[in-house]
Amino acid sequence: MDFGETEERQALRTAVAEIARSFGPAYYAAHAAERKPCDELWAALGEAGFIGVNIPEEYGGGGGGLTDLALVCEEIAAQGTPLLLLLVSAAISAGVISEFGTDEQRKTWLPGLAAGTSKVVFAITEPDAGSNTHRLSTTAVRDGGGWRLSGSKYYISGVDEAEALLVVARTGEAGPKGPRLSLFLVRTDAPGLARHLLPVDVLLPERQFTLHFDDVYLEPESLIGAEGDGFRQVFHGLNPERITGAAMAVGIARHVLTTAARYANDRQVWSVPIGAHQGVAHPLAKAKIETELAALMTRQAAWQHDHGQPAGESSNMAKYAAAEAALAACDAAIQSHGGNGLSSEYGLMPYWGLARLMRIAPVNREMILNYVAQHSLGLPRSY
Amino acid sequence: MNIVVCVKQVPDTWAERKLKQGDATLDRESVDGLINELDEYAIEEALQIKEAHEGEVTVLTMGPQKASESIRKALSMGADKAVHLIDDALAGSDVLQTSYALAKVLENIGFDLIVLGAESTDARMGSMAAMLAERLSVPQLSLASKVEINGTAIKVNRQSEDGYWQVEAQLPAVISVVEKINEPRYPSFKGIMAAKKKPMQVMSCADAGIDTSLVGLANAATEVVDFTERPPRQAGTIVKDEGDGGNKAAEFLVTQKFI
Repeated sequence: MDFGETEERQALRTAVAEIARSFGPAYYAAHAAERKPCDELWAALGEAGFIGVNIPEEYGGGGGGLTDLALVCEEIAAQGTPLLLLLVSAAISAGVISEFGTDEQRKTWLPGLAAGTSKVVFAITEPDAGSNTHRLSTTAVRDGGGWRLSGSKYYISGVDEAEALLVVARTGEAGPKGPRLSLFLVRTDAPGLARHLLPVDVLLPERQFTLHFDDVYLEPESLIGAEGDGFRQVFHGLNPERITGAAMAVGIARHVLTTAARYANDRQVWSVPIGAHQGVAHPLAKAKIETELAALMTRQAAWQHDHGQPAGESSNMAKYAAAEAALAACDAAIQSHGGNGLSSEYGLMPYWGLARLMRIAPVNREMILNYVAQHSLGLPRSY
Repeated sequence: MNIVVCVKQVPDTWAERKLKQGDATLDRESVDGLINELDEYAIEEALQIKEAHEGEVTVLTMGPQKASESIRKALSMGADKAVHLIDDALAGSDVLQTSYALAKVLENIGFDLIVLGAESTDARMGSMAAMLAERLSVPQLSLASKVEINGTAIKVNRQSEDGYWQVEAQLPAVISVVEKINEPRYPSFKGIMAAKKKPMQVMSCADAGIDTSLVGLANAATEVVDFTERPPRQAGTIVKDEGDGGNKAAEFLVTQKFI
C-alpha cells in the first residue's frame, strides 16, 4: 500500500497553490462580499490547464483523472480561494460529456471547458424534488427530431457565469427502476428559459438561481447519451461532485486552520500567546485530525473512481467527513479569533458559510447517514 | 540556439534562514528549498528566446539531491532538458569555486547563450555572470531588463539607477536578468506531466573534469569567520499624540536620518 504522492502530484499542488496564492483570501472575500464571480482566478487556472485536468487530451484537457481534479479543488481552497463551480462544471459536466457525449458534442463543449473559457453548470434540483430524484417533474417531450422542455429548477449555482446547463429531465413514464430521465445540454440564452436570482445569506462569489423552462426547444444534438438512461449517467457525475466537494472542504479546513494557528501564535492577551491555552489549541488540533482523516478518505474515493471501482460509499463518507471537518475547523478558527472572527477584515465568515453549505449540498448529511446505515450496515431503508 | 539557464535552489525566503553552527554554511535541511526567484525570470527569458528563434533550453544546477526539485520546476515551465552537477566534494563551495565548477560543466555541454538571474536570495553575491564570462572568455551583459537577438548579435538594456544602458555583444555570451524583464509563466498541467520524461543528466566532479582539490569548504577562498543570530525584534516606540504628535513623529524620522 502506497500513501505517497507522486512527484507530478506534488508539483501539481505547488503550481496550483502558486497561482491561487497570487489571488489569495482578500481577493476571495471581496468577491464574496460583492457576489462577483472569481473570473480572473478561473481564467488563470484555465490558462495553465488546471481547470481541465480531467478532460481527455484530444479535447484540449490534461488527460488526468478525478484524483488530479480533486487535488486542484483542494489546493485552490487551501489558499483561501475555493471555487464552487469546479464541482459542477469540471467534475459533473465535463465528466458526463467526456463519458457519454458524442464525438461532436465533446468537440463542441470540452475544449472551452478545458481552457476555462466556458462553464456548463448542472440543473437537477427542483422545488418539489430535492434529494428525491424520483419526483423530478421537469419534462422533455419529442418535437420532430428535437425536444420541448418544460418545468422549473432551483438552487442552480452559477447560471449567470455559464454558457449552458446540463439539465436532468423526465422523458417518459417511470418504470420499475425509477423515472425515465435524460440529460440535455441547454444554452443559458435559450428562448423560453427564464432565470431569477435566488437570494441566499451565505457570502459566496457564486450566485444561485431559480429557472423556468417554458416550452424551450432543444435541438436533437442537445441530448447527452442515451434517452432514458439519464439516471445512470447522472450517477456517474454525482460521485465526482461529492469527491471534489470533499476536496474543496478539506482545502477550506486547511486554510482556516493555518490562519487560526498563525493568529493563535501571535495574539497575546496575558503572558503567553493564546495558542498556549488548551481551550484554544484543542479544538484546532481536533479539527486538524478530522481534516486529515477526511483528506485520506477523499483520496481513496478519487482513486477508486479513477480505477473504475465502486466509489459510492467512499465518496459519500469523504463528503460527510470533509464537510464536518471544514465546519469544525471554521468554528474553531472563528472562536480562536474572538470578535475578530466575525469581522470583515479577518474574512473567516465566507469560509464558514461555504462549509455550512457543504453539510447540505451536494447531498445532505442525513442522506449520507441513511446511505451508510442501509448500504454499509444493512439496516432497514428509512424512506 | 543552445541556451543554458543556470538555476540555484535557495531556502524559502519566507522561512527563517540560519547558518549551521560548526562550519557556518547555510542550513538547508531545516527549511524548504525553492528555485531562486530571479532564476524564474531567467528561465522565462530563455523560453521566450527559444520560442522566437528556435533552439533548446537546458537547465543547469549545482547542488545536493534536493536541488532536483528546482530542476523539475524549470522543466515543467518548459525547459527541454537538465544537467545536475552533484558531488559531495562541492559542499560549501564559495562563489569563485562555484563559477569554476559551473564553467567546467558549461565547457562540457556547450552553449550559445547562458542566462542567469542577477542574484540569489541567499548569498546575494550577484557576481556569477561576471565570473562565468571571465572563466569562459565570453562577453557578459548583466542586469538585463530587455534582450534582443539578431543572428549572432545580442543587444540588452542594462538596468541602472537612472535608466538603462544599451549594451551589445556577439554570441556566445552570458546575460543576467532583473525582475523587470518579464513575467515568469506558471508551470502548466501538461508541463508538469511532461517534466519527468525529459532528459536529466547527472554529473559528478569527475564527469565534468572538475579538480576536487579546488572546490569545497576546505579549499574556499573566502571563509565565514563568525556569525551571530539576528537579535529579536525590538518593541517599537509609541508616540502619544498630545497635540504635538506631528513634531514627535518628525523628530523620530530625523534621528533615523529619514528626513
